[in-house]
Amino acid sequence: MARANKKEAALESMSSGVKQKFGALDVIIYVLLVVVAIICLYPFLNVLAYSMSGYNAVLSQRVTWYPIDIDFSAYERILKDRQIWQSMWATVQVTVLGTGLSLVLTTAAAYALSRMYLPGRTIFSALMLFTMYFGGGIIPTFLVVKGVGLIDKLASVYVPVAVSVYNFIIMRTFFRDLPESLEEAAMIDGATEMQVLFRIVLPLSLPIIATIGLFYAVSYWNEYFTAMLYISDASKYTLQLRLRTLLIGTQFGGGDAGGDSGVQVMTQSLKMASVAVATIPILIVYPWLQKYFVKGMMIGSVKG
Amino acid sequence: MAVKKPKAPKYEQTFVVQKRGFWATIWRYKWLYLMLIPVIAYFLVFRYAPMYGILMAFQKYNPFKGIRGSEFVGLAVFKKVFANSNFWMAVKNTLILNFITMLFNFPLTILVALMLNEVRHLAFKKLTQSILYLPHFISWVVVAGIATNLFSLDGGTINNIIIKMGGSGIPFLSNRSWWVFTYVVCNIWKEIGWGTIIYLAALTGVDESLYEAAYLDGATRMQRIMYITLPMIKSTIVTMLILNVSRMMTIGIDAPLLLGNDAVILSSEVISTYVYRLGIIRTDYSQATAIGLFQNIVNIIILIAADRFAKAIGENGII
Repeated sequence: MARANKKEAALESMSSGVKQKFGALDVIIYVLLVVVAIICLYPFLNVLAYSMSGYNAVLSQRVTWYPIDIDFSAYERILKDRQIWQSMWATVQVTVLGTGLSLVLTTAAAYALSRMYLPGRTIFSALMLFTMYFGGGIIPTFLVVKGVGLIDKLASVYVPVAVSVYNFIIMRTFFRDLPESLEEAAMIDGATEMQVLFRIVLPLSLPIIATIGLFYAVSYWNEYFTAMLYISDASKYTLQLRLRTLLIGTQFGGGDAGGDSGVQVMTQSLKMASVAVATIPILIVYPWLQKYFVKGMMIGSVKG
Repeated sequence: MAVKKPKAPKYEQTFVVQKRGFWATIWRYKWLYLMLIPVIAYFLVFRYAPMYGILMAFQKYNPFKGIRGSEFVGLAVFKKVFANSNFWMAVKNTLILNFITMLFNFPLTILVALMLNEVRHLAFKKLTQSILYLPHFISWVVVAGIATNLFSLDGGTINNIIIKMGGSGIPFLSNRSWWVFTYVVCNIWKEIGWGTIIYLAALTGVDESLYEAAYLDGATRMQRIMYITLPMIKSTIVTMLILNVSRMMTIGIDAPLLLGNDAVILSSEVISTYVYRLGIIRTDYSQATAIGLFQNIVNIIILIAADRFAKAIGENGII
């Protein structure tokens, strides 16, 4: 924080002290950045446009970035589909339970191994880091997951990937950088390590816990491959798995969707509406959480 | 302060552990070790236990007999893997896709970071950054869905526009060369903004008085970028480059699997998708495990070489 403030102060003194003109280079930079931003944003507009456009507009291929003949029937169809809600619920469970488990494990490990006086911490850290570069590979891991009886259970989507070594490193760096004097003062007062952790370290670490929690939450929400490997029971499909079957399929939903003929052509509108439904939760939380993501990346990048 | 004094000896205990016995040390730090137990259990079961399965790479693995009962065949599985041209195709495609992605993504990321660093309107900068980071948080399933909607030959938005302007449709997803293009574009779209953070982080440490001094000496904007900003992120650039190179043989499975299709399989089949098809779909556990092991060993060799190289040219190592 201190560093950011210093930078802002320096920037201010620069813009007031050393007056800089808004030159040709600035024009080029601003225009290019606007172009890049539009490219980043356009595909999202495209999705919304298709999902909200009328059937004929989509069929005659006139839709680009804004909806034509606004029509929400695609969303109505999607939101009436029992399977979508089922997999939405599965993904919510995976995200909440997975993030909880990951945070507890990662925080505990990062805190314990950030204590410079803990005998054996280097060995434990090294054993964790080693797995970043070497592992059994997907088949041996698959057999272990099968061996512990997780196949076709939602837990298989988060338990096998519960600790990310990268997130562990970010957190350990953060704990190490907390001022030692705080902890020493508590220790002098006779506090145990557990009391220090719960009364001093954790309250001070809420920003980093939020950051790492969000990293985990997004990765669980988006997880596709582990779910595909371990979940074959269609009633336990996660949202990404369901979305994939909808996107590559030409037919939309069994269940009680539509209801009239059962077999209906999956239009582009329906596909894009389901993409929107799967993405909107992330888009809603994104603006508020963005600063935490960036903070986490910064800590991680300073001492990788 | 006077009240706290009698308790001081407990604090000192922390620093005389070396004189204690093994069990006494464990007991002294019981809480910290207790906290480690769940993590150790996780790593033993899900990260280290699978390493035992690597034995399958040296066996004619039989699911009914298990690893203990299966027959050891030495390096026969590796010979079979290396004799298969599909394996070399997957290796080649992995290298090609990684290399082309890096070739464009790497300099573009630095360019965008430099441009963002020059923006002085904080509101504009924050908004642009928010928009640029967004694609990083979108799943590959969604990206592939959007890409199909944009790029498909039949009804894809981009081809609709091309045709409307009088051109002929481009097979972005079904022609092998165009598919590589699409793959690279999707990867750049997803990660370019997020990649700038590391450079912007390096630039927050730059002493602003350098810029002011340069300005007073009459340096132009371009000169200030070339002679102050760039040297400031040089070591980050080198580190990122070396990290990128060290990951050349590694490729995430989501992007090639979800963007790929039967028409372009000769370009989209990479090591990860090949292992998946061989191991999970065709249940040839021995071969899939052998390829995984081969990939791990190559990765470690490249990593060590890259690390040595970084240190040799006077930069920070990456291990």
